[in-house]
Amino acid sequence: MTVALSPASADPARRGARAPWFTRERWTAIRRPLTTLVVVVAAWEILARTVLTNRLFFAPPSDVALAAMRLWQSGELQLHIRVSFSELIYGVLLAIVIGIAIGVIVGISRRVQAYTEIYITALYATPLVAVTPLLILWLGIGIGSKIAVVFLTAVFPILINTISGVRATEALLIEVAQSFCATPRQIIMKVTLPSALPYILTGIRLGIGRGIVGVVVGELFGSQAGLGFLIYTSGQTFDVPSLFVGIVTLAVAGVGLTFAAELVERYVLRWRRTIRMD
Amino acid sequence: MSARAAAVAVEDLSMEFVSRGQRLLALQNIDLDIAPGEFFVIVGPSGCGKTTLLRVLQGLASPTRGRILVGGEVVTGPGTDRGFVFQQDALYPWRSVLRNVGFGLELQGVAKAAARARARAMIDLVGLNGFENHYTHELSGGMRQRVNLARALAIEPAILLMDEPFAGLDALTRETMQHELLRIAAAAGTTVIFITHQIDESVFLGDRVAVFATRPGRLQEIIPIDLPRPRPAGIKQSPEFQSHVARIVRLIGSYESHP
Repeated sequence: MTVALSPASADPARRGARAPWFTRERWTAIRRPLTTLVVVVAAWEILARTVLTNRLFFAPPSDVALAAMRLWQSGELQLHIRVSFSELIYGVLLAIVIGIAIGVIVGISRRVQAYTEIYITALYATPLVAVTPLLILWLGIGIGSKIAVVFLTAVFPILINTISGVRATEALLIEVAQSFCATPRQIIMKVTLPSALPYILTGIRLGIGRGIVGVVVGELFGSQAGLGFLIYTSGQTFDVPSLFVGIVTLAVAGVGLTFAAELVERYVLRWRRTIRMD
Repeated sequence: MSARAAAVAVEDLSMEFVSRGQRLLALQNIDLDIAPGEFFVIVGPSGCGKTTLLRVLQGLASPTRGRILVGGEVVTGPGTDRGFVFQQDALYPWRSVLRNVGFGLELQGVAKAAARARARAMIDLVGLNGFENHYTHELSGGMRQRVNLARALAIEPAILLMDEPFAGLDALTRETMQHELLRIAAAAGTTVIFITHQIDESVFLGDRVAVFATRPGRLQEIIPIDLPRPRPAGIKQSPEFQSHVARIVRLIGSYESHP
């Protein structure tokens, strides 16, 4: 080696050394949001026991926990989670596959883009959950109509981000592949898609968020099972603790999926330069 | 290294662009004969068409008139007999050093194990042992150009085309890379066509230096550099070296005296 001025991060010996996982900073990072949670739950409990005591309209967290245990033991909660989760996963997977495929075509071809872009933008801005009643009319109250709702709400952020990502691909990187005799297919698979990946992953994260809304709205309109169904039927029967079980489960799922998506992003995009502010 | 150097012939090559309704003659009637294994340097001011010529050689652009023969065959598009070293930052940031170097082999469908072994050998040749799994943003500018060079050499090209590869490097790294390039090119045994706008670089590297002039882009003169090889470190201070530099400076015109 004759390069004397290599950056410290490029020292191969340093990469193996790992800092201990559980550090003081990490404990602080967990403790602070946890404190907020404890305070809010305590306040909720006190409020429900002192001011809003009418059990027809409000329930303390302790009652919600009891309802959750009851629903879990009967197996009902697991069923609702399973149904909602499969609707979300199938819908989002479909949206990912179709969103990326169409996004690449629109991003590459100026002609296709000229025909379609304005309509894609318009549909992206339209709250497509509004077509849910129509989808239930067409596909019934089973899982199919919910998958369709999730797909429709999730596909547009993925599509739009894929188009932007494909178009942001540096021309030089494509030229490199051409000079190595890459076929058009190889250029898409090995240059365009990897280069657009940060955009696509952002689109998927947005799509999952929209998809969760789609699941619940779809189930509220007409369904036989799912967390939206649990919320709806609990409301109809003034079973407020069970209603909260549905809402809390959705909140936890939302946080979990966002966290999982971030982990995937961080792993897939590990090649990116990370800018630290310290 | 099994690459066999090839001869290059440029025959009556002209290149015309139309820009904002104006015809621009980027290259005018270029004739060149480059011997197998030769280190051929093209030097000239910006706008003299040297990068255009290299792109035509690589097959990334088609000439308006004339043709190019590589190893006796007419160039019609990119080919794996030619390896192209781009200017700064033409590496894939999502690929490790090893996978950047193996990129051309991967496109050709070379078996994974063989491609890896070959990429490792190239990384070894350019002196980047231990950096196989680094990403490009973890490398300095000089190291990135080493990867760039290794990637071009990995497909065993008969000709190496280099487009101002050291232009973005600081003076010290540039000096190091010039020495390294001579060592690597000799080891790889390829013909090299190297473009630069730095006169001392052209004299230090080249067997012959083609001086280009601008508007229209044309070949002014070819100067044989009769300096010994391998070129010793202190050669840039020798009177022979300086007289070559002075001659090219005169040809290009005094305004190109900046580094």
